[in-house]
Amino acid sequence: MKTKAQSILLNVALLVVGLLTVFPFVWMVLSAFKSNAEINSLDQTFFPREWTFDNFISMQQNFDFARLMANSVVLSVTITAISIYTSCLAGFVLAKYTFRGRGFLFGFVLSTMMVPWAVTIIPRYTMFTEVGLQGSYASLIIPAILSGFGIFMMRQNMSAVPDEVLEAARLDGASEIFIFHRIVMPMSVNAISALAIFQFLWVWEDYLWPYLMINDPSKQVLAVGLTTFSGRYATDFGGLFAATTISIIPVIVVYVIFQRRFIAGAASAAVKG
Amino acid sequence: MRKTWVAVMATACLALSACGSGDGGSTAVKDTVADKGLPIVGETVKYDPNTLVNDGEPINLEWWMWDGDETFGQFAEAYEEIHPNVDIQIVNQPWDDYWTKLPLQLQSDDGPALYNVHNSHHENLITYMEPYDIPVDELAADYAGVEAHVIDGKVYYIDFGMMTGLIFYNTAMWEAAGLTDADIPETWDEFRDVAKKLTIRDGNSFTQAGFNFNSQFKEFSLGLPYQQGQHLMAADQATPDLDNQAMLDTINLFTGFYDVDQVGSKDFGPVAADSFGQGQTAMIYNWGHFGGTLGTNFPEIEYGTFRTPVPEAGVEPYAHDRYNGESTLGINAKASDAQKAVAQDFLRFYLTNADLMKDLSLHYSVFPMYQPLADDPDVLAHPVLSALGDITKYVWPGPIPATFETSIDTMWQDILYNGVAPETALATAQKTVETDLSSTDFVGVENLYAGYSSK
Repeated sequence: MKTKAQSILLNVALLVVGLLTVFPFVWMVLSAFKSNAEINSLDQTFFPREWTFDNFISMQQNFDFARLMANSVVLSVTITAISIYTSCLAGFVLAKYTFRGRGFLFGFVLSTMMVPWAVTIIPRYTMFTEVGLQGSYASLIIPAILSGFGIFMMRQNMSAVPDEVLEAARLDGASEIFIFHRIVMPMSVNAISALAIFQFLWVWEDYLWPYLMINDPSKQVLAVGLTTFSGRYATDFGGLFAATTISIIPVIVVYVIFQRRFIAGAASAAVKG
Repeated sequence: MRKTWVAVMATACLALSACGSGDGGSTAVKDTVADKGLPIVGETVKYDPNTLVNDGEPINLEWWMWDGDETFGQFAEAYEEIHPNVDIQIVNQPWDDYWTKLPLQLQSDDGPALYNVHNSHHENLITYMEPYDIPVDELAADYAGVEAHVIDGKVYYIDFGMMTGLIFYNTAMWEAAGLTDADIPETWDEFRDVAKKLTIRDGNSFTQAGFNFNSQFKEFSLGLPYQQGQHLMAADQATPDLDNQAMLDTINLFTGFYDVDQVGSKDFGPVAADSFGQGQTAMIYNWGHFGGTLGTNFPEIEYGTFRTPVPEAGVEPYAHDRYNGESTLGINAKASDAQKAVAQDFLRFYLTNADLMKDLSLHYSVFPMYQPLADDPDVLAHPVLSALGDITKYVWPGPIPATFETSIDTMWQDILYNGVAPETALATAQKTVETDLSSTDFVGVENLYAGYSSK
């Protein structure tokens, strides 16, 4: 009886926290269907008093939303794919090969995570400008090719892959490339899924670096485009909420896809265990 | 798994194929016709469109700005029509980060040839600016306020418009209180009476504030002492002068609206601008840009404006208020010679195009500094600009450092919410500004005001 009461209490507490967490998001989505006058009015209502789609209709008129959305999707998918692959590769080497300087190398990778991002942005800006990469997507992709966090995460995960499995594959004549692609990576699918979610979100939300590197409005990313709703003196909240509502769809899709795989992978690992 | 990776790699290839940093598709084509058959325009500064710029060869210029891309874009389009070999690409940026990116970009060799300027960032930009290739006396003949921008006989930007403060009032509330145009107050005493009529109370609480200045402190505090002939800077133009009787009078005048007249409260409508837009407040003091904010965020509010009241009826004050200029564009000193030459030509076109300059001024609710527009019927009919009256009666103190505004805001918060005596809060503000200014080389330009007299 006591356990059941505790369970109910815990669930109620979690429900309240969950509602509080999700409330601003739902409020934003619903506000996307309100006029600016209603959003700024004194008497606030959760649901729109008068539903309007004007914010969504006028969105494309304010800036090239579709183009910027496509730019963001392509960049986020590309960077996520590349950084996952390089993280797995480096993680595999650091986890399963013994060589001189391995510990130092891993320590160096970890140390890159400890340098505040803001400290490096100016020198990095100068570097990319000097080599003429400003204005190109290469300037956004190259810095993201290697992820300290990704290498760390995959190294930790791949350390758990039994050496016996790899030895058995080698005895069967499998090459190291084959082992990496066909054995280690499939066994790390849960970690890859988690990393994919993190990496995609980071790239999708990244604002300052794309803003500094890309000048051509047609090549800009959505996170930068959204800021154009905020003027010097006033903000078009309706337009901003509508654009933000649409812009989170890819994030939700990625989350749903990889979360399912993550759970499946974790469950599978548990059964195998 | 194989299919997934093939798809991922294909996507990556597509993305990488777009990695080139091309010019985004220039529309510039070679121009061979110098004589366009167009008239020379302008008053003192002239623009002759019947020339070949850059010898008619295609050339691209970027023009950075933080908003108003459609309005500024009209200048670019009109210029490109005359000179089809020039492609001016408008690049719109968010206001806050514009001031991070622009100086960085101007340091490099790839900065925009043209960029919009705000005088509050003068120190950050002036190093990278090319002087205007127009004689200063010609500019001064056509544009008001040029003298304040002269550095060693050259100007790097001037003002296309001036913005200042005025009173916004809700016309529906005005009528409901039985007020008419004849009740527009001229003096602060008349204003006080009108505010009382516009105030609606329900017991001890407010239903409608007659006047609200919450969170609007710096706007009026730095301007109204001019009505008594008090400047923000001492005669040396280097020492701040905030702790004076005129500022104290301004503080007492405004606290009196709440404490004595009870036409508003520090706790009713914490942000005066929002409170006005939300229909809580009948009158606020704000700068001209508020007209644009009302249009965007509170389109249903119908409002009128009138000039900020003065101490005495029938007596012209030393000045009505402070103003700030909206600046003309800057030219990148590190742009190529060809780009700079075209930029200078475009600048002349920009400064002499009366129609577009008028559109620009009306768009930003700023009074045009271009003299031929001073009596323009559209300008005089504008709901905000029409209230300003004689624009020579406003003072520009120069690009004052932010410490003036932040210190005044802090002072007011201390007075209203922390119970600090006005004299003490004002003395603290003076000290803070003095300390902050000691690390800058700011020099005011109040002495360039036409009616300047040191006090």
